[in-house]
Amino acid sequence: MPQQVKVGANIDFHFDGSERTLLNALEQQKLQVNFNCREGYCGACRCKLLSGEISYINEPLAFVRKNEFLPCCSIPLTDIEIEIP
Amino acid sequence: MAYTTFNRQMNDQMKEPMFYGNPVNVSRYDQQKHMIFEKLIEKQLSFFWRPEEIDVSKDRIDYQNLPEHEKHIFISNLKYQTLLDSVQGRSPNVAFLPIVSLPELETWIETWAFSETIHSRSYTHIVRNITSEPHKVFDDIMLNEKILERAEDVTRYYDHLIDGINLYQRCGEGTHTINGKEYSITLRELKRRLYLCMMSVNVLEAIRFYVSFACSFAFAERELMEGNAKIIRLIARDEALHLTGTQHILNIMAAGEDDPEMAIIAKECEEDAYAIFRKAAEQEKDWAEYLFKDGSMIGLNKDILCQYVEYITNSRMQAIGLKAIFSTTQNPIPWINTWLVSDNVQVAPQETEISSYLVGQIDNEVDGSDFGDFDL
Repeated sequence: MPQQVKVGANIDFHFDGSERTLLNALEQQKLQVNFNCREGYCGACRCKLLSGEISYINEPLAFVRKNEFLPCCSIPLTDIEIEIP
Repeated sequence: MAYTTFNRQMNDQMKEPMFYGNPVNVSRYDQQKHMIFEKLIEKQLSFFWRPEEIDVSKDRIDYQNLPEHEKHIFISNLKYQTLLDSVQGRSPNVAFLPIVSLPELETWIETWAFSETIHSRSYTHIVRNITSEPHKVFDDIMLNEKILERAEDVTRYYDHLIDGINLYQRCGEGTHTINGKEYSITLRELKRRLYLCMMSVNVLEAIRFYVSFACSFAFAERELMEGNAKIIRLIARDEALHLTGTQHILNIMAAGEDDPEMAIIAKECEEDAYAIFRKAAEQEKDWAEYLFKDGSMIGLNKDILCQYVEYITNSRMQAIGLKAIFSTTQNPIPWINTWLVSDNVQVAPQETEISSYLVGQIDNEVDGSDFGDFDL
């Protein structure tokens, strides 16, 4: 079952696993997300996780607050709602 | 009070704060209060590189063909970066090691500072290659007003902290008369100096390097000075990790996780923190103006670079829980991100960027089925 990813009020798509990470999937949707290392240590792609759960492919080294996550090294575990800063 | 290189007191290191507890005795990593520092060490070690591995010979021809105003941009940035890494190669050791209380953090500080010394050596590698008179470049750093102006703000917080630690470790808290002059110090004041120093280091790693990075990559986008860009890319990768390190330290401090007084101090210093960010951003914008005083370069000008400074300042501030101070929300030079991606960084073609590439190379597991087609 692909997970639904909601970004703000207008955009939602399904994460079907054809992209390795959420960041790749967001870029496929032509969404502009800031990024640098794409490996979880710089924290540039930090987004807000409003609802749902994600799972990290690699545990990030960058500092991540409770309601935040790094799309560069994660995939959705359930349907999620996120906010790109 | 006095620093000792091997603290004889039996202490539970898991109960020590990051700083200003007991000095570290046994460097042990079997137990860790903040695992993140061990992970940062591992990552930093996996990033290891040597300047000599990167071929910069084509840069010499490129440099000679640059117009004068672009030579100025290139060489001034190198000088400024040399200053920054001169400071960073020693100051974390001198300032933080005498007061650190956790072995994993102590080793992270040493690993961090060591990697900055590689950066310093790489500047000599670059400069030696593009000019037959490298001494002129380095000598000018100590004479260049624009650079010295920045040096003042880069080093001020370090020096203030080191000065306080010296007094405290010699004489303890209180007012002391030394050579006829009165000095006073309290542990609380030292904590304040530490917090501000860490904030200023965070700003250094977060903002100050990036104007130079942008210029280096802008040259390389035109296929100029590509050897230099390769080196800068490795430096940028290291700096991003150092920045993550200081962000963690600041966030642990602000949360008061291991020293509740530090959380109060972080609150008290909030205005100072904003001021440090604001001043660094202004100085970097002035620097952009100085770089482009005789003309811009293709793909970059003063205004774009200033917007970029504002953009990264905002994002770095938000990373440590401060509010953005500039209205810029878009990255004006999105192409820079491609240069900052970790897996595009390659030292030698046969090397991969997987830091764990030696782990699991040998399969040690043997069970009965492995002997299934085995006859004697």
